[in-house]
Amino acid sequence: MSKIVSVHSFRGGTGKSNTTANLASLLAMNGNRVGVVDTDVNSPGIHILFGMDESHMVHSLNDYLWGKCGIKDCAHDVTANLKTPMSGHVFLIPSSIKAGEIARILREGYDVGLLNDGFQDLIEQLKLDYLLIDTHPGVNEETLLSIAISDILVVIMRPDQQDFQGTSVTVEVARKLGVPNLFLVINKAPMALDFNELKARAEKIYNCDVAAILPHSDEMMMLASAGIFSLHYPDHPVAAKYRQLVALLEKS
Amino acid sequence: MSGVFDRLQQQLEIRKREEGISAIELTDLPPALRKIMRLMLREVVIKYTDLCVAIESMDAKSRLSRPELDSALSQLVEQNWLARSGEGEFINYRVNLRRKAGSQLSQDIWSALDSKIDHTKEPDTP
Repeated sequence: MSKIVSVHSFRGGTGKSNTTANLASLLAMNGNRVGVVDTDVNSPGIHILFGMDESHMVHSLNDYLWGKCGIKDCAHDVTANLKTPMSGHVFLIPSSIKAGEIARILREGYDVGLLNDGFQDLIEQLKLDYLLIDTHPGVNEETLLSIAISDILVVIMRPDQQDFQGTSVTVEVARKLGVPNLFLVINKAPMALDFNELKARAEKIYNCDVAAILPHSDEMMMLASAGIFSLHYPDHPVAAKYRQLVALLEKS
Repeated sequence: MSGVFDRLQQQLEIRKREEGISAIELTDLPPALRKIMRLMLREVVIKYTDLCVAIESMDAKSRLSRPELDSALSQLVEQNWLARSGEGEFINYRVNLRRKAGSQLSQDIWSALDSKIDHTKEPDTP
């Protein structure tokens, strides 16, 4: 049975796209067929992590929502871009990076039902084991839909007071929408913090499991989304945390 | 004349979509209905008979009786939150998700933006 995993955060800059891309790649290394949809139509970016630029995008999610093509036409097999032997596949459905197309979708809106149909069609047509949804930060139509249909919601936050408050909104919405599995990931945590204390604090505040605490990493900052961190630095502690998260997703 | 009726039908369909349920409204539904809607969102289109089987597999606390289910489905259809098709044992349901509205900004602002955006310009890369 295919699993839909949404990766979300209340605020921007928490590391959603990097987390989504790393999870997708590691799942594919484990032999899974993984779809990744960039639903952040306002500010798309995950395609960069998979080595795609605008010239490589035959069709985008925008084209599908405008009825120009089927959802499968928007799926780009980016497995080869990862330059790592793997038995699975990663299919990326990017959002358009063209300013005019972003403006158009903001101006006109779109059929949310069609977006949902697209998710389900992707799973069926590409025979996906996992569909990962990279969401726009905060509470919005796309996020709420993706949370509503997800089997697993991964909520990313930083150990920052604004994130602590905002995440409680996300967790509340997720509980109301009845997501079967909810995992918190604390990202970019300074090494000076006591991670056990941080974990206990977050679990107490949100009454949900902290699946992983990812330490701040200079190597991650230097890579700067030029690729998939866990493939570039497989022995790094952050890569180990990503693998731990993947094990959790596969078990859920 | 058939063209006029086709256009009217299309307008009614569009209006129905505009009156549909938004994702945030799902949070206001009672838990059992929320589970049903969630199941329907995953299935896209679900037969009434399959829905009944799914209800039976829910835990006793959240399970709806057949009359409760039928009443809830009728109400959701009435609100245009569900679309029903077919008859008898071939009834299907589909969630009618409300279209995401476009911007409320004046059209002049969008026209000005469009005229500024050069579609042939390559994006700057560092």
